[in-house]
Amino acid sequence: MLQKIQIERALRFSGVLLILGIAVEIISLVWEKPLAFLLFVGVGGSLTFAGIVIYLYSLLPPALETPPQPPSKIS
Amino acid sequence: MNLPSPEALLYALLVITAILIAIIVVRPSITVATPGKMLAFVAFCVLPILCGSMAASTHIERSKQTKFCLSCHIMEPYGKSLYVDDPSYIPAAHFQNHRVPPDETCYTCHTDYGLYGGVRAKLGGLRHIYIQYFGTPPRPDDVQLYKPYNNRECLHCHAGARSFETNAVHAAIRDQLVSNGMSCISSGCHDTVHNLKDQSKVKFWTPGQ
Repeated sequence: MLQKIQIERALRFSGVLLILGIAVEIISLVWEKPLAFLLFVGVGGSLTFAGIVIYLYSLLPPALETPPQPPSKIS
Repeated sequence: MNLPSPEALLYALLVITAILIAIIVVRPSITVATPGKMLAFVAFCVLPILCGSMAASTHIERSKQTKFCLSCHIMEPYGKSLYVDDPSYIPAAHFQNHRVPPDETCYTCHTDYGLYGGVRAKLGGLRHIYIQYFGTPPRPDDVQLYKPYNNRECLHCHAGARSFETNAVHAAIRDQLVSNGMSCISSGCHDTVHNLKDQSKVKFWTPGQ
């Protein structure tokens, strides 16, 4: 259950970053000035990249907790 | 039937991607089932990469446009020099007679036609943007080429052209022109280029007249 909540939270966060990245990309395309390219690469590209990385990271299975080892027998 | 332009398709794709992502952000529980997982992968990974690549390509194509280069204040006199009413001005003669595409005038003559020339031109352009906004831009008169103008950029179009090949002077020095031993524009033959210092003394051509 906790894991599901964490995945949903990561999906939401990554989705918000991606939507912001797409919004910045649209603004940079509408704004036909040289600075728009820097906006596209610097802000739009970074937000999109971060969104994709967070989404892919959320797909990774959680690390398994190793059960405590029984004490070794002393012969 | 008119097909939508690539730019219109890109805008449509960006909006569709944003809508798909918004649906998953609002209802993340749909990703529990396999179709939802596939939708999430497409919306969160495949489509943003596709949109980013298409947008980058659009930006790169746009940066070749004459109006893009002339949108920087420094370049205004260079843009004005394209309208000088004197055929000895090489850029003006090329621009006014459409010897170069009018909407890609700067790029056509100022790109490097060697291997990776386009990439080098784009990196140079990024440096220009950086200096324009974050550095100290030079005065228009002080703008210099990184290296002497290469005849290769002229010969890219002129080599093989009848008017060039049948010219006795060109034929006599052809090897020197190809090897850059003699410059087309600084050896006294075609030496009037943008010539900003005399811009106040020349007449200008107005399109449509």
